[in-house]
Amino acid sequence: MPGVKKPLVHNRSVKTLATAAEAARHQREWFAGLRRRVAEGEPLAVVNADVPHEIFRAMDIPYVVSQWWASVVAAKQRSGHYLELLRRRGLPDHSEQYNAVTLGSAFDPDPDAGPWGGLPKPSIVVGDASGDVTRKIFDIWGREPGVAFYPLESAAENEVPANWWELVPHRWEEAIGPARLDLLTAELENLVRFLETTTGRRFRESRFREVMALVNEQEEWNRRTRDLIARARPAPVSVADGIPGVMLPQWHRGTEWARDAARRFHEEVRERVDTGQAACPGERARLMWIGRGLWYDMGFYQRFQEEHGAVFVWSMYLAIAADGYIRHGDDPMRALAARFAAFTDQLYTPPWSSEWYVKEARLHGIDGVVHLVSDDPRGGYFTARALESAGFPVIEIEADNVDTRTYDGDRVAERVGRWLEDVVLTRAAPAAGRGPR
Amino acid sequence: MAALEDAYARPPAGPSIGYVGADVPVELLTAAGLHALRLTGDPGAGSAQGDRYLGRGVDPMARSILSRLLSGAFGDLDRVVVSHDCEASLRLFYALRELRRVEPGSGVPEAYLVDVLHLPHRTTARYVRRRIGEFADRLAAWTGRPLDVAGAVAAHDERRRLLAGVAELRRAVPARLTGRQFLAAAGAALPVAEHVAALRALLAEAGRLPEHRGRRVFLSGSDHDSPHVYEAIEADGHVIVGEDHSFGDPLAERLVGAPDLDAIAEHYHEYGPTAHRATAAERAAHAAMAARRCRAELFVAYARAADDAPAWDFAAQRAALDIPAVLLDRQEYGRADVAALRKEDPCPA
Ligand code: SF4
Ligand code: SF4
Repeated sequence: MPGVKKPLVHNRSVKTLATAAEAARHQREWFAGLRRRVAEGEPLAVVNADVPHEIFRAMDIPYVVSQWWASVVAAKQRSGHYLELLRRRGLPDHSEQYNAVTLGSAFDPDPDAGPWGGLPKPSIVVGDASGDVTRKIFDIWGREPGVAFYPLESAAENEVPANWWELVPHRWEEAIGPARLDLLTAELENLVRFLETTTGRRFRESRFREVMALVNEQEEWNRRTRDLIARARPAPVSVADGIPGVMLPQWHRGTEWARDAARRFHEEVRERVDTGQAACPGERARLMWIGRGLWYDMGFYQRFQEEHGAVFVWSMYLAIAADGYIRHGDDPMRALAARFAAFTDQLYTPPWSSEWYVKEARLHGIDGVVHLVSDDPRGGYFTARALESAGFPVIEIEADNVDTRTYDGDRVAERVGRWLEDVVLTRAAPAAGRGPR
Repeated sequence: MAALEDAYARPPAGPSIGYVGADVPVELLTAAGLHALRLTGDPGAGSAQGDRYLGRGVDPMARSILSRLLSGAFGDLDRVVVSHDCEASLRLFYALRELRRVEPGSGVPEAYLVDVLHLPHRTTARYVRRRIGEFADRLAAWTGRPLDVAGAVAAHDERRRLLAGVAELRRAVPARLTGRQFLAAAGAALPVAEHVAALRALLAEAGRLPEHRGRRVFLSGSDHDSPHVYEAIEADGHVIVGEDHSFGDPLAERLVGAPDLDAIAEHYHEYGPTAHRATAAERAAHAAMAARRCRAELFVAYARAADDAPAWDFAAQRAALDIPAVLLDRQEYGRADVAALRKEDPCPA
């Protein structure tokens, strides 16, 4: 592997949760089943994480989320291989790796040698036109023989109320604004027609309503789990334990399995709280991780537990599941548009992002914030500023979350360790008896 | 040419409103009676403030514009209108909006976003029309006057027609203007009526313009809000006879036509194909046409560091061209690796 200087010794995290192991097993089975279905001639869609999967679910069209696939590739230390395939075609290997890695796997001369038996060839790709290159990447894919690309817009609003997490479950019209909702609703109506035409499958309104209800139920469980972890001292699980328990079911949103997995995840966390189990028995500091997951070094999150008693209790994955998805309303297509018309603003656009991270840091009694800054345009100043002015120490680390070529885990860990000792632990009170701020 | 050069180099004082990005419907600013200035960065000045607020993942042009706004380089602007022509502009808008909210002492002007989008679909066309209507209403509310849309469209279309004539002078063989001069003619910071008069004067002296015989270059990719890259490339024996970024040829390329908001909305919806909003295939087809039209001998795709879009177009562009093509990737703001242009058989690899 180009650029990886030495083997990453901490790169396997310990999955102690039964639900996480069960979710991982389900993921393998699901992917094997999907490969089988596609081999037998069913269509396959590759879609962006910000695309409303609920439509594919309702129409029973098999789909893979490009970011999930990129995270699998990264976890298998294979990103460099796929980026090299892009380079050979004269395409950049240094830009928007999350989607680029997935495109690279489309050009693999030996696709079956990929992780998990390889990503089958899709017939449909759907992505939103966010940033300057996502649409280009999907469009290049859409020019491969037998592949069709359906793009969605990425619209922006002039003025927004800051307290989105309070508004979006019911008053999403107010939070997002009618212009963006009208646009995405119309695009989704057209997407249904496009899928009906290209796959021959039907879209049934009653099934769609069922899927929408299942998603709300699943995310309600995630909300309870988030609230539970926020209040519990010591932390019952760390983010490395928790991410698979929330994310793998997220990729299956709208199924009964996913809803039940979210419930079982909640039950397991509840039990750990009730029996006083700790992710980090000598908990001295509660940390927040801002940014995408470090898929190729999930052990990073546990490195600081033994030596410093510092445990990552927060990542966006559970928190955004708790706050970012629930949408009630009588018109399911518009409610679905309301889930996605401003989805990334929730995480990356001030004031929505900055105010929300502060709200979450307070809720979780955070002692320090580790902020992963990738070299993408989302920036981090206003997030860090908001957290610091609310009294939370922030350290920024630089890495790309799927491209290992420039990552030096030991160096990053050493910096974070010093910051913990010098800044965080000098301020944090001992965990016992400490409540949320 | 001197008047245009002068207004390009030293924007006259006076504008009360600035704008950022290729998709701001300037007709509406004129219709509201505002003299607006398109804000530009300065590669020669530091951008520490902009880097701080936007992060280093954003096109340095936007970081420089923000730095200059914070240092008061544009005088007393009441407002800044920003378009969504690229991610950097959008991020600049968000930074201005948030700075006003959390650091009111920073003194940045109020920002307004005109969210013009570009997917070639009716859903997007309707959305753009709505945003154009909202912007027109907002302008009328700001000024307290009705807009003179018809007069403004006529004035800007006249400027486009004249600028198209100036573009022909540069496309002539040999070229009668340099790329650097064309940038100045297109980007002179003058009120529309004065700009129109200056362009007319330039066309009137066309016969007396000198000839420029360097290797003819078509410049594709990142926006150039300053002449630095043009000067570097042309000092090396080239002459830039065409480009596809929003400070050059595209400013002259299509008229609005009808004197109403529908036509303005269509014009801006269909504007391009730009590096940041079009597909690689659209960009390649345009490159082939535009390079042929200006009889370019060398195609240069320029991608500034943190402006990734042009690099994604290059493979398709090169395949569509019948002239040598070179990619200058991850270039520093205001600089160009001119040595790469000199190679006889340019090779990006
Ligand atoms: S949670 Fe991490 S390790 Fe597990 S499947 Fe997803 S990317 Fe791979
Ligand atoms: S790498 Fe080789 S084949 Fe590709 S452009 Fe350069 S010289 Fe030509």
